[in-house]
Amino acid sequence: MGEFKVHRVRFFNYVPPGIRCVAYNNQSNRLAVSRTDGTVEIYNLSANYFQEKFFPGHESRATEALCWAQGQRLFSAGLNGEILEYDLQALNIKYAMDAFGGPIWSMIASPSGSQLLIGCEDGSVKLFQITPDKIQFERNFDRQKSSAIRKMIVDRQYMSVSKRKCIVWGVAFLSDGTVISVDSAGKVQFWDSATGTLIKSHLIANADVQSIAVADQEDSFVVGTAEGTVFHFQLVSVTSNSTEKQWVRTKPFQHHTHDVRSVAHSPTALISGGTDTHLVIRPLMEKVEVKNYDAALRKITFPHRRLISCSKKKQLLLFQFAHHLELWRLGSTVATGKNGDTLPLSKNADHLLHLKTKGPENIICSSVSPCGSWIAYSTACRFFLYRLNYEHDNISLKRVSKMPAFLHSALQILFSEDSTKLFVASNQGCLHVIQLLEGSFKHLHTFQPQSGTVEAMCLLAVSPDGNWLAASGTSAGVHVYNVKHLKLHCTVPAYNFPVTALAIAPNTNYLVIAHSDQQVFEYSIPDKQYTEWSRNVQKQGLHHLWLQRDTPITHISFHPKRPMHILLHDAYMFCIIDKSLPLPNDKTVLYNPLPPKNESDVFRRRTAHAFKISKIYKPLLFLDLLDERTLVAVERPLDDIIAQLPPPIKKKKFGT
Amino acid sequence: MVQLRPRASRTPASAEAMVDEGQPTSEEEAEHGLLLGQPSSGAAAEPLEEDEEGDDEFDDEAPEELTFASAQAEAREEERRVRETVRRDKTLLKEKRKRREELFIEQKKRKLLPDIILEQLTTASQTGAKKSPGKLKVSLHKKREDCEKEKKVKVEKVQSVSQRSYVAVRLKDQDLRDARQQAAKAFIRDSLYGPGTNRTTVNKFLSLDNKRAPVKKAAAQFLNNAWGVQKKQNAKRFKRRWMVRRMKASKK
Repeated sequence: MGEFKVHRVRFFNYVPPGIRCVAYNNQSNRLAVSRTDGTVEIYNLSANYFQEKFFPGHESRATEALCWAQGQRLFSAGLNGEILEYDLQALNIKYAMDAFGGPIWSMIASPSGSQLLIGCEDGSVKLFQITPDKIQFERNFDRQKSSAIRKMIVDRQYMSVSKRKCIVWGVAFLSDGTVISVDSAGKVQFWDSATGTLIKSHLIANADVQSIAVADQEDSFVVGTAEGTVFHFQLVSVTSNSTEKQWVRTKPFQHHTHDVRSVAHSPTALISGGTDTHLVIRPLMEKVEVKNYDAALRKITFPHRRLISCSKKKQLLLFQFAHHLELWRLGSTVATGKNGDTLPLSKNADHLLHLKTKGPENIICSSVSPCGSWIAYSTACRFFLYRLNYEHDNISLKRVSKMPAFLHSALQILFSEDSTKLFVASNQGCLHVIQLLEGSFKHLHTFQPQSGTVEAMCLLAVSPDGNWLAASGTSAGVHVYNVKHLKLHCTVPAYNFPVTALAIAPNTNYLVIAHSDQQVFEYSIPDKQYTEWSRNVQKQGLHHLWLQRDTPITHISFHPKRPMHILLHDAYMFCIIDKSLPLPNDKTVLYNPLPPKNESDVFRRRTAHAFKISKIYKPLLFLDLLDERTLVAVERPLDDIIAQLPPPIKKKKFGT
Repeated sequence: MVQLRPRASRTPASAEAMVDEGQPTSEEEAEHGLLLGQPSSGAAAEPLEEDEEGDDEFDDEAPEELTFASAQAEAREEERRVRETVRRDKTLLKEKRKRREELFIEQKKRKLLPDIILEQLTTASQTGAKKSPGKLKVSLHKKREDCEKEKKVKVEKVQSVSQRSYVAVRLKDQDLRDARQQAAKAFIRDSLYGPGTNRTTVNKFLSLDNKRAPVKKAAAQFLNNAWGVQKKQNAKRFKRRWMVRRMKASKK
């Protein structure tokens, strides 16, 4: 494989925003997650829990409620009093409708999906009719008319109980007339709506119980507490053959360290998310039919897309945050050592640039050119392009003004290898090719979307010789464009799992695609067909441990001098695939560390296979080859993230 | 104020003060006021200022008598004059407005493209309505900025604008809305992290395991790297400068 010097980078101060709301869509098995900075992410639970879409956040948006209605339409309501509908094809916000009731605290869709009910600060409950284009205000209910409220409203009220105010964080209304409320005293209470009396009260925590979600069949519900515990309640018969049933607390789960602000109940799993930024999906064993690895706990912590770009020539890293970008130059060392040594730095890493974005929107994507002289980033409304000049050790920045009108929001930005061209994938499905000149730019071409539907292009890859551009949408196959002749060259056949990473190899122009179910394909662009090696991999199948990995592959790169090597990584491992070695079958050991040099050749041959995996650096956010002998690995230890989270509930442990 | 005929009455100041602020429509009222003013002025006839020489002569005289006819004639004259001025003002304003309207119409005509091009645009846009909403936005933006370009498309006529590029909002509403949003956020923050909640720092939380381990370790964030950052920077700079000075000194 070769020896590499590895730059271990830990100064990317990435802290994901906490999860505020979670909404599950049964029809399409998708999960919408809204975070505290206004970002909304859509996870496809059947595609190996991959985050396939996201909507960037906004400073003024403070979402309090998220719900699916009428099948596939997503609505959110927040403290700024507006109801937003998200366009899942074009990946932008369709419209924002002001409800004129002050901050909106809760929102629910009717079971038929045609109406939307919101609870506002001024005490009114407003009913909206969902029309094909928009939503329309229908009625206004006063605070007391609870008979007109439909089933399963989640509402927030103030209730004064004893000395301290007890806040009811969540309410669920069942069809048999039982109302379940969870409050800040740590109680789950069952009320009878006909008589208005308390049936049963469970004290389950010392801290607030902050969220509740009921399953569709109404035989179980889940609550989340501020201590990070999630409790599962089920309707169980009193004795084994009686018809009388009662609610019993069955399972506690402790997967979070901070408050669980939101829970959701899918038919087979409990989903919870909170301030500690993890999204935890816990399949319920009794509901899962096939007990295989799919029934394991899934914890999604790290982003499923790349937030870091790298300029190889100048050894620069560009970190993308929500409202600013940071440009760092890597340190250098002159020492040498053996395998496993830590070399001292002769020159520390340098924080060159801290670029703040204008406006309240979050940054969607950013990129630095390989030569290091251009930085481009995009928010939901604007596109920014900067030119950098280096004089000795100083850096000066100049903004390229007068961006063209069609470049207002980009989902992905990519520079060509020689830094003369800029490729921008916009959220209308178009792909723009722009030529970069000394202080300005020239628009060369726009590739329009193919079949008339608006497909948002999510991932881009360009070949090192600059001839080919690969773009993947969310459902169509990967399109390959000829940049020199500015037309579509071919399309890789569509696969039913979304693409997580794309890259084109130098010289051979093989397109390597990684999907969310951990399949890796290699497609030859000049020949317009899959390569021999890729067909072998598909015939034999990948190792079962490889397929059971949790996190998607986010970056693929190549060695300039070794065309048989593919370097890819996910959050917990990085792997060099050597195409010249035989493929592992299910019986071989997948994770084999480098055998010591004095072992026999026979042993070596038995354990040598194409997938060389290393788990030394984790959790990895980015790993790339800087030159032939250097790697850069950006790690983000979980403790560093937890250290910057809001304070958790105090836990008294014996002996401390 | 009543326009009194300049009359050297005994107490001219007090007489004016007595009369009503509102304008009497006829001379009768003014006369009435003056008549009224007299006895009180008589009552308020304190020792006069002796600066006016002419007053001595008129001290004992009664005020002049006005005939009704002359007073009426005067009043009518006033009214006519006032009516005339009002009519003149109105006609002047009307003319001004008319002129301004004509000017606007001319300007609009100048800004609009000739009809032929508009027709072409309508047909072109109907075929490819979704192609470039971005261009729409641009033209609306440019229109708003009032730039002096020749080609300005009046977009409302050509296409139905599905995306508004701007919204008119009342600032007062926005402040109110912001205030309510802040209040709501503060409520959530106080109820979760405010007084009375049982919260602890992240450091203590992460150190619980260290404290309960068989071999007790230090807290998770034992070192405070954020302490004295400025001091450390100053020290580094000083050290560099000191080294340079030593080098120079040793060279000499």
